[in-house]
Amino acid sequence: MVTGKGGVGKTTVSAVLARSLARRGRRVLVLEVDPRESLHSAFGAAPSGGEIVRVDARLSFQNLQPRTVIDELVRERLKVGILVRRTLDSQIYRHFVEGAPGLKELAILGHAQRTLQKDRADTVVLDAPATGHGLSLLAAPGLVSEVIVQGPVGALARELAEFVADARACRVVVVTRPEEMPVEEALELGEELRKRGHQPALLAVNGLLPAPGRHEPNDRATELWRARHLVQVRELEHLERGWPDSGAAAVRLPQVALPLGPPLIDELRRVCDEALAGMAAAPWE
Amino acid sequence: MKSPVKSSPRPQALTVVVGAGGVGKTTIAAALGLRAAEAGRDALVMTFDPARRLKDALGVGDSANDREATVPGAGPGVLRASLLDPGRTFDRLVERYAPDAAARDRILGNRFYAHLAGSLAGILEYMAVERLLEVADEGRYDGIVLDTPPTRQALDFLEAPERIVSFLDSGALRVALKPWFRADGRLRATSRLGPLGRGAERFLDDLVGLGLLRDMAEFFQAFAPLYDGFRDRALAVQRLLRAPQTQFVLVAGAAPERVADTLFFARKLAEAGHRLGAVVINQVHPRLERLGSEVSPGRRLFAWLGERDAVGVAQLKGLLAGHARLATVPMLATEPTDLAALRRLAAALPPI
Repeated sequence: MVTGKGGVGKTTVSAVLARSLARRGRRVLVLEVDPRESLHSAFGAAPSGGEIVRVDARLSFQNLQPRTVIDELVRERLKVGILVRRTLDSQIYRHFVEGAPGLKELAILGHAQRTLQKDRADTVVLDAPATGHGLSLLAAPGLVSEVIVQGPVGALARELAEFVADARACRVVVVTRPEEMPVEEALELGEELRKRGHQPALLAVNGLLPAPGRHEPNDRATELWRARHLVQVRELEHLERGWPDSGAAAVRLPQVALPLGPPLIDELRRVCDEALAGMAAAPWE
Repeated sequence: MKSPVKSSPRPQALTVVVGAGGVGKTTIAAALGLRAAEAGRDALVMTFDPARRLKDALGVGDSANDREATVPGAGPGVLRASLLDPGRTFDRLVERYAPDAAARDRILGNRFYAHLAGSLAGILEYMAVERLLEVADEGRYDGIVLDTPPTRQALDFLEAPERIVSFLDSGALRVALKPWFRADGRLRATSRLGPLGRGAERFLDDLVGLGLLRDMAEFFQAFAPLYDGFRDRALAVQRLLRAPQTQFVLVAGAAPERVADTLFFARKLAEAGHRLGAVVINQVHPRLERLGSEVSPGRRLFAWLGERDAVGVAQLKGLLAGHARLATVPMLATEPTDLAALRRLAAALPPI
């Protein structure tokens, strides 16, 4: 599960990790939950529109609409056509699905877990919502299982609560940028995750600037570059001090002069491969 | 210092700052408030948990948590900042509309509410506008700027009041759940519900179990006396967001790949009947005057960023011409650390 502050590059990092894992021979499905699709650009493919899109033999992606997953569950359980239609059309059902807290989160996690269980992929990379909503996603099975004890939803919630609590099954990747607010939020998120029993598996710092040389022309761009690089140095130190184990499982991705697309993902993937290869215990093996 | 407390309501401008995550909404909201205070107007900036540095820049620290704290040195108008606490706003709302202490306690102590209502779809977003209505009703300011919370999806915020009303709507859930339980909380004989009701009941029971349904029924029954007040409130919020004195400021990223998002948001605002006052293109990289000789990779990167942003800005200018005012704010090296830095940023913004 890939999360972090809005705008830090969660989708880019999800695509990079997926590419890197697929290259190591794993079958990977990337799930996007934002209805405004952007993941397809990273792979140079058409938007998913809810369908699984195959990028190559080992890599696929899908834009996931939680309601569709819940509707699917209803179809599967009720089987009889007329009952399905009546249920799906009923106001009660619509309001329940729209408003009942935790249900959509269960649908997303349930879909990921079933994909793994049915051996449709070796790894699911979930391009999750930003920090607060990402935490709610992880917390939902536990909360729901406390309230819903019975029935298939209760059972599903319990099962998913165990799934997200198992550090070998469900791993959290925190994405940030070497800037003040994203670093602050990453540190808070890391702390909150540990408090809830999720040790973050990987810290990805995205958008690193190169150090300016001494002989750069004196203009506004260089001025901005120097100042931002100073901030970067300071914030990386801040991150290292505040993030336990940041040396062991961290990937630093450079800012690249390319828009979101396969060439960018490929270039970052090479950096990611190297970083993962250098880790004593890669977070996925 | 003059007091911002006035005896009668006065015309006030409301500004709602929206945009995707990470584009700098909070900083722009603070700068808009400062700009208003500098024009001699009394202004309030309401925001959710901004970074420490912005609190420092405004000089308010933790004193602004769920309170309005005066920003020292901003003037000649009075500028206040307030950090919203959605949980407390919701509790206050329940307290306001509960007919008595027992009803209030029934809701706040309900298992369903306690565990899950905090994450009820859209509650955080809704609480932001609810608080805006509270402050607007008091009429103590010439200008109120609301920074919107990070949403799962950019539009959650606009749809939140509708969604809350829809969820609480007496039609579906309350009526649906009520007949299933007797006053003692035991399940009624379901024969009176007819085949459709039995079907729905069987389905929900099968899906989530009757324990939850009982809690939910209790919650909605406890909520019943509050319902009308709450519903009126949500409708008033909707009206306020479409009132002539309310404008939206859309903060956008400069890269061409963000243009589609910005247009999508602008179109949704228009479709929902909201007034788009201005689009602020934030964090625009400078364009290089010349590349120079012996170009380093870093310089090539900044040349690319400058060109990239120039293309995005030009596209937005072309597409939004005649529809909204446009302002561009340059990429800053750091977030503003003091009022002077915030003031420089504010100078690039349109007055509100």
